[in-house]
Amino acid sequence: MTRENLLKWAPVLVLIALVLFFSAINPNFLSLRNFARLSIAASPALMVAVGVTFIIVMGSIDLSMEGAVSALAVIFCYMLVWLGGSVAGLGLLAVPATLLLGLGVGAINGLIHVRLRIPSFMSSLAMGFVGTGAAVLMTGGNIVKIDDEVFRALLTYRMLGFPLMAYVALGFLLLAWVIQSYTRLGRNFYAVGGGEDLAHASGVNVKRVRVLGFALAGFFFAVAGLLQVAKLGQAESVTGSNLMFISITSVVVGGVALWGGIGGVWNALVGVLIVSVINNGMIVIGIPDFIQDGLLGVLVIIAVILSTDRRSVAFVK
Amino acid sequence: MSNFIKTYVQQEKINRRNLLLATAAGLTATAMPRAFGPGAAMADSGGWALAWSYRDRASAYWNAIVSGGEAYTESLGLKKEDMTNLINEGSSEKSLADIKAFLAKNGGKAAIACDANDSPNARPVAEAVRDAGGYISTIWNKTDDLHPWDIGDNYVAHLSWSGEKPSAEAAKILFDAMGGEGGVVHLGGIPANIPAIERLNGLKVAMKDYPKIELLDTQPADWDTTKAAELMSSYLTKYGDKIKGVHCANDNMAYGVLQALKAEGINLPVTAFDGNPEAVDMVMKGDLLATVFTNPHWGGGIALALAHQAAIGKFKPSEEPNEHREFYGPSILVTKADAENFKKTYLDSTPKYDWTDRWGLSAGQIVYK
Repeated sequence: MTRENLLKWAPVLVLIALVLFFSAINPNFLSLRNFARLSIAASPALMVAVGVTFIIVMGSIDLSMEGAVSALAVIFCYMLVWLGGSVAGLGLLAVPATLLLGLGVGAINGLIHVRLRIPSFMSSLAMGFVGTGAAVLMTGGNIVKIDDEVFRALLTYRMLGFPLMAYVALGFLLLAWVIQSYTRLGRNFYAVGGGEDLAHASGVNVKRVRVLGFALAGFFFAVAGLLQVAKLGQAESVTGSNLMFISITSVVVGGVALWGGIGGVWNALVGVLIVSVINNGMIVIGIPDFIQDGLLGVLVIIAVILSTDRRSVAFVK
Repeated sequence: MSNFIKTYVQQEKINRRNLLLATAAGLTATAMPRAFGPGAAMADSGGWALAWSYRDRASAYWNAIVSGGEAYTESLGLKKEDMTNLINEGSSEKSLADIKAFLAKNGGKAAIACDANDSPNARPVAEAVRDAGGYISTIWNKTDDLHPWDIGDNYVAHLSWSGEKPSAEAAKILFDAMGGEGGVVHLGGIPANIPAIERLNGLKVAMKDYPKIELLDTQPADWDTTKAAELMSSYLTKYGDKIKGVHCANDNMAYGVLQALKAEGINLPVTAFDGNPEAVDMVMKGDLLATVFTNPHWGGGIALALAHQAAIGKFKPSEEPNEHREFYGPSILVTKADAENFKKTYLDSTPKYDWTDRWGLSAGQIVYK
């Protein structure tokens, strides 16, 4: 195996090693039921990670996910309730409406970054706060419950042991892969991330690509919001909490380089699985709770060391 | 390093800190024009400005606390907007800066109720209020060695809730539903939080009467619904059928637990804590076994009432016994049998409290271990 090949598959090897490690200590870990549980925990996080992957590939960052997911989840719930409360009827319209809204929110996020020339780190973080604020304003601090059994089938209905939401997440992952690999926009993300000046000189409309990238991320954040509601049966202003850490960590652990141009949505998948496996595994093998956070940090650093090609960059900022 | 440079660096550090504090105070001031405007309404409060300082608006709990403060304000014949919200967003520094700004703007004539965000912050907050001549009551966070009577009349009272006894009562209901035997898992709050510690202790206390109950595991899910769902899933992998009951340290985590169980079609008895409206509905439906209500509306109202009534001279704190200056708020266990009645009394319409009955609902003086 060449070094290049090894690097390409390193995140997968890390994942397999982790699964074997946890299974050796507690065989229950390696069971279909546990993998189904992992898939429920990982599905919303995967959608956020896929969305942010496009942005990181461009060499930017999008930190609006927590606010965006909360706001979109809350809006979805209100729309669903307003349209009759069930996706078996008119309520189904709430799904495409939320996805479109996600696209729009992402586009605004991108426009603020590009037009006002604010670094994406700051503009997206600020937009995230706006999202959380909007969610607080809409809910007044309360919880919006969704009892629609048809929508909740995403969690409760199983095919081959896995809940429906895992297949939905997989479907959107494939969509992301198609965009990344078979569209001009997807290739332009890499062009911008690999060398913005060069891309600009070759005639790529860099600003447009950036705005579209953020819009696409917003779309996937909306999917994450829907899955989060499916998973918990409710939305509130903290529905998106914790998704920032898990998604950014996953993308990097999965082998996407923060400096842009390297990696893709499959890396995001492997990364999310690695982080979810660590989180679940630590409890299953009985690591004391007071060292779990510390251990997660150490394991993440080890995973990044093993799964990214740091030799190819002259310096890391 | 020469002395000159050392002094210079130190001076700059202090200047920078002052600038930051001033900025924070300034920002707060611009954010609260209403509070600092010439308040015609203040006449009704005897010239004292009213404020509640707390974490955020994102939870039913804090909203209920604030509603109590507003109810007290309205009982004075004012509008509820006449009570200023000082939102610290989980930052002790902001909590202190906001309160200092509020005191400065009102020339010290301020009656404030406050959760200081973390225990060590209660002392600087109380001292700032005393030095400015204002009056304050605190809830929840305060170090054990800080007492209102040591600071003086300006630190009127401290109100807290004992988690241990009600949590034990909920646990007993859980154990009875399990038939008195089998494995229990506990989902806890943020590990260092006092209520998280007390509620876990309550579970352990209850276990003494039930020798056949085994505590399988206790892990924190940080009061969070999503984390609780994931933790419950991991518990199911680890312990499987051994789990016969689930004890949660708050309602939000219980929601996550119920969803993790729903995903697998498992039915287990679950108890919670806080008595939020959604949880009470679940108790009525039978999804939740029990929750504990701490009457945050009364707590929020009485904390502000005590500070204000001391300010206008309705009572003199130093003439009150210690049990009136550090006391527990009420706790009510809500089970299926009484959930409907409870909902009617406390949630469907908020009871009107007599705010001059200052210690009517007190559950006794705070005990330190």
